[in-house]
Amino acid sequence: MIEVSDLVKVYPGGTKAVSGINFAVREGEFFGFLGPNGAGKSTTLKILSTLLKKTSGTVKVAGYDVDHDGMRVRQSIGFAMQEVGLDDLATGKDFLVLQGLLYKLSEHESKKRANELLEMMELTYAANRKVGTYSGGMRRRIDLLGALIHRPKLLFLDEPTTGLDPQSRLAIWDYLKRINKDGVTIVLTTQIMEEADRLCERLAIIDVGTIVAEGSPDMLKAQVGGDVVSITIGTAAAHATDEMKAKAKGILTARPGVISATEQNGAMLVTVKDGGSAAPDLMRSLIEGGIHVSNIAVSEPTLDDVFLKLTGKKIRSDSTGGDAMDSAMRAFMGLKKR
Amino acid sequence: MLEIARETYYLYRRNFITWVKMPALVIPSIFISIFLFLVFGASFDGVVTLPGFPIDDYNAFVTGMIIVQAVVFSGSDAGFALVTDIASGFFDKQLLAPINRMSILFGQLLMAGTRALLQTVVIVLVAIALGVEFKTGVPGIIAIIIVSAGFGITWSCLGIIIALQSKSAQATQASFILFFPLIFLTDAFMPEEFLSGWFKVAVMINPVTYVLGGIRAMVISGWDWTPIAHGLWALLGLTVPLVTLATWLYRRSTA
Repeated sequence: MIEVSDLVKVYPGGTKAVSGINFAVREGEFFGFLGPNGAGKSTTLKILSTLLKKTSGTVKVAGYDVDHDGMRVRQSIGFAMQEVGLDDLATGKDFLVLQGLLYKLSEHESKKRANELLEMMELTYAANRKVGTYSGGMRRRIDLLGALIHRPKLLFLDEPTTGLDPQSRLAIWDYLKRINKDGVTIVLTTQIMEEADRLCERLAIIDVGTIVAEGSPDMLKAQVGGDVVSITIGTAAAHATDEMKAKAKGILTARPGVISATEQNGAMLVTVKDGGSAAPDLMRSLIEGGIHVSNIAVSEPTLDDVFLKLTGKKIRSDSTGGDAMDSAMRAFMGLKKR
Repeated sequence: MLEIARETYYLYRRNFITWVKMPALVIPSIFISIFLFLVFGASFDGVVTLPGFPIDDYNAFVTGMIIVQAVVFSGSDAGFALVTDIASGFFDKQLLAPINRMSILFGQLLMAGTRALLQTVVIVLVAIALGVEFKTGVPGIIAIIIVSAGFGITWSCLGIIIALQSKSAQATQASFILFFPLIFLTDAFMPEEFLSGWFKVAVMINPVTYVLGGIRAMVISGWDWTPIAHGLWALLGLTVPLVTLATWLYRRSTA
């Protein structure tokens, strides 16, 4: 469905957003790009959807070359962008009908399909209201419906649930799973671990314009090589000093079975085989070394741990709030990500 | 070819509905036209008695000016509509659709023509109500409306050019202050023979003078082909470079 090789995008200012990525997506697959802001996810989707011109490389989407067959590519795909693109003065229904007409449906088909979609996303009650009066979640949903109007075989979603409340998020996830089961190939980008984990069959982890790992979520998590034991050292009254942290790291890495130990926000994150049975030993050795342990937790590795292992940093400190704030700021300052 | 006409029509229809839904944009332009008739009619009423003034009804003299100012002042509307769509992301949505991207520009220009046409119809009706006699009769009125619609499309290209260069709604609207003088640097209020000095020079090189002259001739003198031809040449002289530049910039920014 998608074949990308050696894709490079350098913006006019000289910023290299994508530096030579290769990937392929099979028909019917649910594929995800996971990475932080500025990793090159949006740029990649914009090139795939013909909104941006690539600098070099080859890109084939739905069997068509994006440079020579842009019109056919656009007819084959639906794309819900990171920032919704709505006509605030149009009613929800008029917006969808126009989308249908532009995707070559007849007036009759467009209206029928618009009603069907509104029904499905439970927006029928607001069909004749101006889009400008919609809430954030409703705007997201109507925007997504606009991308589905022509029943595309391939759907691009750029952070489809970022900034949404948990309820709307779950509703969109359910819907995406359903249409994927019906045969729609989906490519999404996300910064939300849970989203990548629950939806995507295959993931590409992307950072500073490069794909650093690719595989199923389980495969990627297995790369971490064990469980993650998170140990908070110091007390609420006396936070751990850098010296204490360094000492703790030394003690922990010396224990048998420990693969790695890093410090994140005052907690020591230890990757170890069989975390449950290793935890008591780790705790004891720290206490014997004179380090106060205030909390200990064992978890299976998450995609965040994968990202941390591969790039040495977290995707983002907080999994939901940050980006909504970000886009609110952008909107406030009148800036647009392009 | 058929496809682009179909796409242009749907986008044009959407632009039209959007425009109608914004009374704040529609009503002032109608109000201003009526207001100008009343003010100019009252304040310049005496000048028609000056020896050499071409006509004894000042309202008839100023009708052309009121039509031209309405078109010039709504010249930023198409550009403004375009930047609004760019800012809201709806423009990207249109670019994503499997359409000829020129139809987005054509939809805006067609809307600009429609706006100029409707404004002219309103002004003509007000003029008739005020007793203005169109010397060229109904065919002349139709010709005036068509020329004005064409002028509306041409002048809107200027707004589109500014919008594409600035990508800012405020800049697009504000920049039209710069075109404000073009209405006053004409023989809009006084026949050319009454003017002198630098003002007369500015008036003579301003293309708007000739477009206005052509329209005014159709109102006050009948089918007087010299000013009408000058008007059409001036319009053509504006249309070719402005449409070419707007199309080129648009193509460049969407390619």
